[in-house]
Amino acid sequence: MSSSSRLIAPLTKPVFRAQLCSKQANGHIAFVPQVRKLVFEYSQNWSSSTNTRTYLKNNLQNLARANPHVEIVVRQRANRQPIVRGLYLNDKEKVIPLNGFEVTGIENKVQLLLDSSGTKIKSLKRRTVESTTQSARGIWSGLHDTPFQI
Amino acid sequence: MAGWSSSCLQHIRQQLSRALHTEARTPSSTSRALDLIRSQPNQYVIASIAGKKYLLAPKDLLTVPRLTDVRVGDVLSLSQIHEVGSREYTLRGSPDIPTSHISVEATVVEHTKGKMEHIFKKKRRKGYERTIPHKQTYTRLRIGPIHVRSQEQASLSSS
Repeated sequence: MSSSSRLIAPLTKPVFRAQLCSKQANGHIAFVPQVRKLVFEYSQNWSSSTNTRTYLKNNLQNLARANPHVEIVVRQRANRQPIVRGLYLNDKEKVIPLNGFEVTGIENKVQLLLDSSGTKIKSLKRRTVESTTQSARGIWSGLHDTPFQI
Repeated sequence: MAGWSSSCLQHIRQQLSRALHTEARTPSSTSRALDLIRSQPNQYVIASIAGKKYLLAPKDLLTVPRLTDVRVGDVLSLSQIHEVGSREYTLRGSPDIPTSHISVEATVVEHTKGKMEHIFKKKRRKGYERTIPHKQTYTRLRIGPIHVRSQEQASLSSS
């Protein structure tokens, strides 16, 4: 008799732990630049690094001053093609080879690394608005008594 | 049977309470309308950016074609806001709502490129075939909070 009156399952709504995490919104109030480090690797001997060496001598200091949030490292790597690595806050890395470019081309590639966020390149054709908030007007449903919540 | 009728009564009671809480008549002034919209928990805006209209809420990540005159980290103020609304109220501008009443800012988060596409061109029976690799350039913007200002705040800010 007492067992029949006892409740089997709790009457509370289940709370899934994913909904307890905060959703990232970089730039909503404060913006944190995602690129943290640039590593330039060049060779002293090979001619394919000539333009890279010119860029490092002439343009690098201005770049460092204009981007104080980025740590810039210059390394020699003998008998290899020149590269630039961008390291990001999401632990991803972008590596761009710099052989075959003029100094302006190297500037463009470095700017590409500075502008990026390090996330994987996806097709952005159909991803216009990515939202994590509930809609303000709610979602109409003919099958539900109270408004349908995601 | 008893359960069905009690849930039906509860449903009717909820509808009545919702109707009583919200003002059914149109507000007398823009300021009163904005106050009604601000009183509700969530708002949305319909704004034009780079010639296209989007329905935006705070914290949204908007992807638009590459904006060349803007740098990562810059904060843009949306100037063409056509509509602002909440759960029960909407204010539509003709064609825009002045920035003194509504202000929304968007931060440039990154300049990216899309996935590599290979465009294939061919003219048949002419021996002409080309494959062109292409990456479309985009800018991603993070929408900031929606500031709905009343008439007193707007006049204070303008003076």
